[in-house]
Amino acid sequence: MATRVRSTTGVVARRLSRVVVFMQEKQALRTCTTQSTTHHGLELLQVMKCWQQEAGYKKIAGRGFRLLALLGAGATGMLGLSGLAYADEAEHGLQSPSYPWTHNGIFSSYDHTSIRRGHQVFKQVCAACHSMNLIAYRDLIGVAYTEDEVKEIAAEIEVQDGPNDEGEMFSRPGKPSDYFPAPYANEQAARFSNGGAYPPDLSLICKARHNGQNYVFALLTGYREPPAGVSVREGLYYNPYFPGGAIAMPKVINDGGIEFEDGTPASASQMAKDVVSFLTWAAEPEADERKLIGAKWIFVGCLLLFQVGHYKRWKWAPIKSRKLVLDVVN
Amino acid sequence: MGQPATKEKEQEEGEEEEDPSPVDTKPECEESCKPRCVKQLLHYEACIKRIEGSPRKHCTGQYFDYWGCIDKCAAPKIFRTLK
Repeated sequence: MATRVRSTTGVVARRLSRVVVFMQEKQALRTCTTQSTTHHGLELLQVMKCWQQEAGYKKIAGRGFRLLALLGAGATGMLGLSGLAYADEAEHGLQSPSYPWTHNGIFSSYDHTSIRRGHQVFKQVCAACHSMNLIAYRDLIGVAYTEDEVKEIAAEIEVQDGPNDEGEMFSRPGKPSDYFPAPYANEQAARFSNGGAYPPDLSLICKARHNGQNYVFALLTGYREPPAGVSVREGLYYNPYFPGGAIAMPKVINDGGIEFEDGTPASASQMAKDVVSFLTWAAEPEADERKLIGAKWIFVGCLLLFQVGHYKRWKWAPIKSRKLVLDVVN
Repeated sequence: MGQPATKEKEQEEGEEEEDPSPVDTKPECEESCKPRCVKQLLHYEACIKRIEGSPRKHCTGQYFDYWGCIDKCAAPKIFRTLK
């Protein structure tokens, strides 16, 4: 009996030690792969060498380990090849980070003072080259301005209207029902003035780009020196977030570029944040309303759920609490 | 731990200066994130050395890793300083 017990403990100990060795192997693998991170080429050799060293050091060159090493090397090789297939990392641009927008939450509304400042930035900076042809002045009423303010702002532009009674076109000051004016008559004119590049319409830009608002903010504030080995031809600027890296738009959002009417310091990031708030609203003007309706639905839904639950219990109470008695006396 | 304290002081000074000419807080936030991304920076610098003299090679991948790391760390910091 005693020997049997000893033998079983021996087996357990041996198994345990095997597990420990296996864990060590795994550890060695992990350290090797982390030491030689990504970026193809020589690393395959390095990984192999590293594994060999580790293996020699720990004196574990079992068959399983070799198999694992081969598998790992194969996987790394495949990854390296796939890297070659996508040789140009700039193709999709640098992924923009997730900025903590105040309107991000499911019940969070837009920051309307930010939208107001953003409209100011758009009007004074962006509108020089970009159109925004889906937004009319009246859309801003109750969002960023009062009706009187909007009338004033709209009256600043001249609009071609007509024909009048004599059949002639005439120009008049803008009305709230007018749409934002376009800086260029057509795409050809826009391209001609911008060195062949077409400044996109900004009405839906935050929906039309991947990771919309974060992308636009990162793009506006992300002008940097190009990486080593990359040069940008004259007339273009390097921006890592822009697919391809070379953008025709220069850095237009600069510190103190405009003066906010509410006295907010107009740093570049502040202006970019505000204009992105404005553009996000423009792309999704129904967001506030939608979230409010959502909140109401959820509230009413909770009440209904409670009622339905109660009704079910009420209806089922007599059924569940009844007692069936089988009378066998008669 | 001494560094963040000085950073805050700098920030306060920056805000005081902002009234006459606004100063962007983004470069400062990114600067404070650089110690976290040393690994990526070293990779990038190693790449620069590696591609020296070869005209068609570039370090965009390492550059993206580096700035991606900085961005991830700096994004909440930037928005904390904005209105």
